[in-house]
Amino acid sequence: MATPAFTFTPSTFQKLHPAEFFRRFTTEGVRPDGRLLDAFRPTTVHHGVISTANGSAMVRIGGTTVVCGVKAEVAEPKLDAPDQGYLVPNVELSPMCSSKFRPGPPSEQAQAVSEAINRVLKESKVLDLKDLCIEEGKAVWVLYVDAVCVAYDGNIFDAALAAIMAALKNVRIRKPTYQEGTIKVSGGSTATDENSFTLNLARTPLSATFAIFDTTLTILADPNVTEETISDGQISIALDETGQLCGVTKIGASSCSQSVMRDCVQSAKKRTQQLRDIMNQQ
Amino acid sequence: MSRAELLSPEGLRIDGRRPAELRKITSTTCVLSQADGSAYLEHGNTKVLAAVYGPREARHRALVLHDRAILNVELNVAPFSTGERRRRSKNDKRLLEMASFVKQTFEPVVIATLYPRSQIDIYLQVIQHDGGTLQACINATTMALIDAGIAMTDYVCACTAGWVEREAAIDLNYMEESSDTSEVTIAMLPKSSKITLTQMESRLHVDKLEEVFRLAGEGCKQMYEVMDKTIRDRAEDLARKMAV
Repeated sequence: MATPAFTFTPSTFQKLHPAEFFRRFTTEGVRPDGRLLDAFRPTTVHHGVISTANGSAMVRIGGTTVVCGVKAEVAEPKLDAPDQGYLVPNVELSPMCSSKFRPGPPSEQAQAVSEAINRVLKESKVLDLKDLCIEEGKAVWVLYVDAVCVAYDGNIFDAALAAIMAALKNVRIRKPTYQEGTIKVSGGSTATDENSFTLNLARTPLSATFAIFDTTLTILADPNVTEETISDGQISIALDETGQLCGVTKIGASSCSQSVMRDCVQSAKKRTQQLRDIMNQQ
Repeated sequence: MSRAELLSPEGLRIDGRRPAELRKITSTTCVLSQADGSAYLEHGNTKVLAAVYGPREARHRALVLHDRAILNVELNVAPFSTGERRRRSKNDKRLLEMASFVKQTFEPVVIATLYPRSQIDIYLQVIQHDGGTLQACINATTMALIDAGIAMTDYVCACTAGWVEREAAIDLNYMEESSDTSEVTIAMLPKSSKITLTQMESRLHVDKLEEVFRLAGEGCKQMYEVMDKTIRDRAEDLARKMAV
């Protein structure tokens, strides 16, 4: 008596054995969405999308969309750095962007991404914080950088970092005027070159993220949300415009050899250059 | 500090509009990749994004209704959306109140009995705030619900109206709202002209009420034209693509 054969539709197979389903594609050198293993999704960058913010940008990498707004406020400087302003970056992953996120306080992933980006910005000294000083010891500019993810399809780190850098480039802050010991920042008329200033960015770090699949030793560039869920680990590499590394993050239980790291860095160099061209074009 | 004249002697408002003129409206549906339905709406400088997830399994078993879907609305105002950055907590009373207004507006309109034991989540994100947030939220929600294919008895179109100095005006912007003008938000079903929401917080003389309401109703009808056109264009576009 012949044993009955089980046949599944592709979508059922994907639900039952996601890793095996995926392997069937990667052995042919492609991914379920049709991309090659080292291909990044189409990326667009729009500058100045929010007029109420001092600087803003919207970045789309495939289906992941992040809107970033920068607001500048006057505040007292920190005690250990009386002549420096500071940046407060924050990445918001709300339930709106994906059904994976629950309403409530920021999820672990949101906090981890915020912290990773904060580290890249601080350590690569993106901006000379002394430029943000208004009056030493009394008043400095604080830049609140809020990146809100409105659609999540994987690779939030690249999208959020690109949106934040594009928004910082777009920032225009009113020069404050001094009146009888108080600092006034006027609203009113449009910002021009005389009454406002833009930020002098020393470096523009941009990143490329890769997903690691242990069992098949495959590295995928720019994972989407399904690929992220079944991956064993991720590598994110941030580089500035001179090709210097600004940050490397590797998470997950997988291991990865030196040659893999080198390949990723080379691929990241090409990708960040491509991103820079896109950012400067639009 | 001189107070800006809200209505010029020729009858033009601060931004150059006539009293019965709406701001420039831009609307698009299906803007988000993950949501079941989504819409992006601009009323002049007020920009709102709406995402609808559902009908899907209810999160809290205890709240499930055996014969209809439950509606859940969450409103999130981005910190960079207003003139001064305000980090509003999720439990801010004003936001919760607005979210509950949206929920109550749509509860009679969505045919929830078609989706028993499920939940419909509506997430609203205010990206830029220049007056008329509640009306923009309601309009964006209508379009997102239609985009998600959720059955409704009619569109819900909302419009703000108020008394600006000497005349009734619709679609007030932030400057008009924050000065001493009364403002009422009305949400209406355009086919039957039934009103599902009226909200007003300021003082308005009862003699002026009828004029303001009438003008708001006309504003809602204008909104309906714009929203309907967007939806129909998108449907035609989809039909054409499917036919290939």
